[in-house]
Amino acid sequence: MIVSKNWLKEYVALPMSVEELTDRLTLTGLNLEGVENIGDDIAIDLEVTSNRPDCLGHIGVAREISVLWQQELKKPTAAPDSVGPEIAKQTSVAVECPDLCPRYTARVICGVKIGPSPEWLANRLRSVGIAVINNVVDISNYVMLESGQPLHTFDFAKLIGQKIIVRPSKPGEKFEAINHQSYELQPGTCVIADAKRAIALGGVMGGADTEVSESTTDLLIEAADFAPLSVRNTARRLNLPSPSSYRFERGVDPEGIDWASRRCCQLILELAGGELCEGVIDIGEPVAAHEPIKLRFTEVPRILGIEIPAETVGNILIELGCQETHTCDHCIKVIPPTWRADLTREIDLIEEIARIHGYEQIPEDAGVKMVVSTRSREDRVLEQVRDVMVATGFYEAITISAVDRSLVEKFQPWSNAEPLSVSTPVLRRADCLRQTLLPSLLTSRRTNEKLSNAVIELFEIANVYLPQSGELPDQRRMLALTSGGTFPELKGVIELLVKSIAPGQRIETSASDAPLFDAGRGSQLMLGDRVLGFLGEVSQWGLDQFELRGSTSVAELDLGVLIDAAVPIRRVTKLSPYPPVGRDLNLVVDEQVRWADLEKIVLSESGELLEGIAFQETYRDAKRLGTGKKSLLFSIQLRSSEGTLTNEQADTVREQIVAKVVKQLGGELRA
Amino acid sequence: MSLVEFLSSLDSLAEQAQAAFASASSADALEAARVEFLGAKGGRLRKVQQGLGKVDKADKPAAGKRFNEVKQLVETAFAAAQEQAKDGGETASEAFDVSVPGEPVCIGRLHPITQTIREMKDIMGRLGFTAVEGPEIEDDWHNFEALNIPLSHPARDPLDNFYLGEAASAAAESDSPLLLRSQTSTVQIRVMEACVAATPAGESPPPVRIISLGRVYRPDTADATHYPMFHQIEGLLVDRGVTMADLKSVLRLFFQSYFGSDGEKGEHTDDMHVRFRPSFFPFTEPSVEVDMNWTDGAGKTGWMEMGGAGMVDPNVLRAVGYDPEEVTGFAFGLGVERICMRQHGITDIRDLYQNDVRFLSQF
Repeated sequence: MIVSKNWLKEYVALPMSVEELTDRLTLTGLNLEGVENIGDDIAIDLEVTSNRPDCLGHIGVAREISVLWQQELKKPTAAPDSVGPEIAKQTSVAVECPDLCPRYTARVICGVKIGPSPEWLANRLRSVGIAVINNVVDISNYVMLESGQPLHTFDFAKLIGQKIIVRPSKPGEKFEAINHQSYELQPGTCVIADAKRAIALGGVMGGADTEVSESTTDLLIEAADFAPLSVRNTARRLNLPSPSSYRFERGVDPEGIDWASRRCCQLILELAGGELCEGVIDIGEPVAAHEPIKLRFTEVPRILGIEIPAETVGNILIELGCQETHTCDHCIKVIPPTWRADLTREIDLIEEIARIHGYEQIPEDAGVKMVVSTRSREDRVLEQVRDVMVATGFYEAITISAVDRSLVEKFQPWSNAEPLSVSTPVLRRADCLRQTLLPSLLTSRRTNEKLSNAVIELFEIANVYLPQSGELPDQRRMLALTSGGTFPELKGVIELLVKSIAPGQRIETSASDAPLFDAGRGSQLMLGDRVLGFLGEVSQWGLDQFELRGSTSVAELDLGVLIDAAVPIRRVTKLSPYPPVGRDLNLVVDEQVRWADLEKIVLSESGELLEGIAFQETYRDAKRLGTGKKSLLFSIQLRSSEGTLTNEQADTVREQIVAKVVKQLGGELRA
Repeated sequence: MSLVEFLSSLDSLAEQAQAAFASASSADALEAARVEFLGAKGGRLRKVQQGLGKVDKADKPAAGKRFNEVKQLVETAFAAAQEQAKDGGETASEAFDVSVPGEPVCIGRLHPITQTIREMKDIMGRLGFTAVEGPEIEDDWHNFEALNIPLSHPARDPLDNFYLGEAASAAAESDSPLLLRSQTSTVQIRVMEACVAATPAGESPPPVRIISLGRVYRPDTADATHYPMFHQIEGLLVDRGVTMADLKSVLRLFFQSYFGSDGEKGEHTDDMHVRFRPSFFPFTEPSVEVDMNWTDGAGKTGWMEMGGAGMVDPNVLRAVGYDPEEVTGFAFGLGVERICMRQHGITDIRDLYQNDVRFLSQF
């Protein structure tokens, strides 16, 4: 809302500087957006929150100033002389949709002379950025910007049947607005019609057919109230926001409607001549009287944390226009003014007192009670996960939670369900809520490749959204990784992660045939009986899907599984004082025997003596080992808690392992 | 890759490696040659080994066998060259150069948004606020209704929210549409509801002192200062006797700790103040905008808008089952991106989500 300083002076004295004025207004609810000098006037742009439509007129802003600086508010007169015939003989108004138009008033002035506005009026409109048209249109705009009540003037002679019908639009009904564009109206739109056609969109815009022009002599002046939701929907649907719709959307003062009509007529008679018909047509329920609101004085310190004297409390409310109906030691009861529909409860009155008394009165050094806070298990684990990722050389990425539909089918590790989608894409074409982070992360990888970044090690921790019936989607937190390293290198990172968060837990692997992975180089990871995630080297097909040039390994882990498995508090085990004994093993097995099968035997056969097992390498040599054979080299470290292990004891363990491997896996010790 | 290609690449590698080891004139040169061919990370032998995976399955055994032979060959050549170098010993001209850079070690970085959130959680944690998170896809009740945002409120406009397709709402058997949450206040509702639900009948629910944080979504066109996804941190304190003075004081402590601390000396400035300006939010009454005093690089002072706050609206307390006659509460919300960008001098919010490692490595 732009206000003119000269204009404000009509209603309230301004003994302060503009800076002082705007500073105080900013701190009491009218935030300063900007100040501009226009001729000998100053335009002040104030931000008005949606609960304060009373400040969408100069009088409303002047009222705030009058309360803050204890100045008298001078409201202009609105008492036009009527000398013409009775209005009921001239026209009629019927409201067929009181839910869309709860109040409609009309006055008629005959014999006006349309011409330019006087300079003072034109200047005021120019100061606040409103186009100057002609005296009648300018006056209706002027009164709107004075009172906050939008008005509309019709060329009365052009009204077919000389009558007004407020009704919902009919199916397929068309309307030509003042901007000379034609609109097809959605049925149920609130229109002002004459005997034949729609001549205005209630509260939104007037029509071209009945526009006031230079030849106009007779006027019908509309001052009404239209339902906020209906006005908003119409203005938005037709993309016709106007100063009028802006005000009706926020609500007008029901008692200010007739005042604005009279004020408008008075100015027209003064500046454009003519004769006002006797009386007014006023359709609508009388305004219901407001119930008094009770404010207990003890509530003020309970909410604000400061004491404000009862007298000050009462004065502020009364100066704001409240009517006091009761006051005693404990409380005050007031009826709020009709222009403050936002004041309905005790807490609303407390806010008024706080802002006028001044928020600067509230101390910023209160002794806030001390309590402990706790960190959730999830929070602790996530922090550890991030620390491991950073320590292993990964940079954290953040990508948006939705993806392009074309990315959905590239990889669906967690669910085959149709993804949830949003009605408008979050960004570009991304309208599917993602079920895996990897496509987004691979897209970031491509961004980095295009920037010629040599090392691209990225991770992200974020949610995926898996649809489930009967509930909100299953939101699971994932860790996704993309690395320039190989499968074993990335597996090493994941093993380190699991080891540092859930020591003692073993990852079981099985093959994954997802096309994103290179054949034979993709796997599913299990932790206990739960799927921890997926790991693999991306196949050529996968690289092509994301337009990647260099090879990459990727992984995605369900952090929920890791969080559940985490050991947040570590317990020490007693350390043996005796020295360890190591043994190297080289076992020849069939190609299809997996290291995991062998490892299982080592674990079960070495029992409590086993301290560590270290895989060294896989060796293949058709000549020496035979085709379809490989040898697995590894070492074990043994230690006893009861005494120094003898070579014989260590050899026994070694032999047990070998014997079991021979028996179960058909392997043999390599000489 | 065909077997022939693979074998020929192996052969040429073997030749080159032998030549390089033989011609290495110093220990440094030999080491450089070792790294080039046998290096564990980027060595050429290693790279060739990666090619092994791309050889046809049928040819794999043959390719693997040859690879192992070449590997052994190269290792032997290196060992021999090493022996020779040892015999010769280091001459004065080959002295160890302590000015040569160390072996590079790679470390990653956390995203600046994560770092900002960590710091905020840390400070609020010291002030007694426990961090909580909640669903990003929300229902009408938690995103609007319980927050005192009625059906007719403009905040519900489809153009201002990411509503999910009708199918999703139907699947959730919800009468009202689901949407990507537009604020983290939804979590506050969930926490208060859970507290009330866990309270035996006839008893008062416990105080709540939390911060909720995470991703929120609003249909803004992406530009230097807007992004359709961003992060919010919201604080909530509900207890007997909570006042606006507590709100102002907690915010001041937070800003003092976040912006005013001198890490070196462990001190903080007292010259940091909070200013309230009246505002309007459906879920708080009174509602205020929160400003913090700020001195820019040129020494110019002013007020900086930090976020919104207020006393929890009695309608919200009632909606979740707290008695507004018994308890009061305050709530505040801050945009994480804005604070992060100011702290690090980031001028385009989109830089945060491009994930250029050169950008990420600066934090």
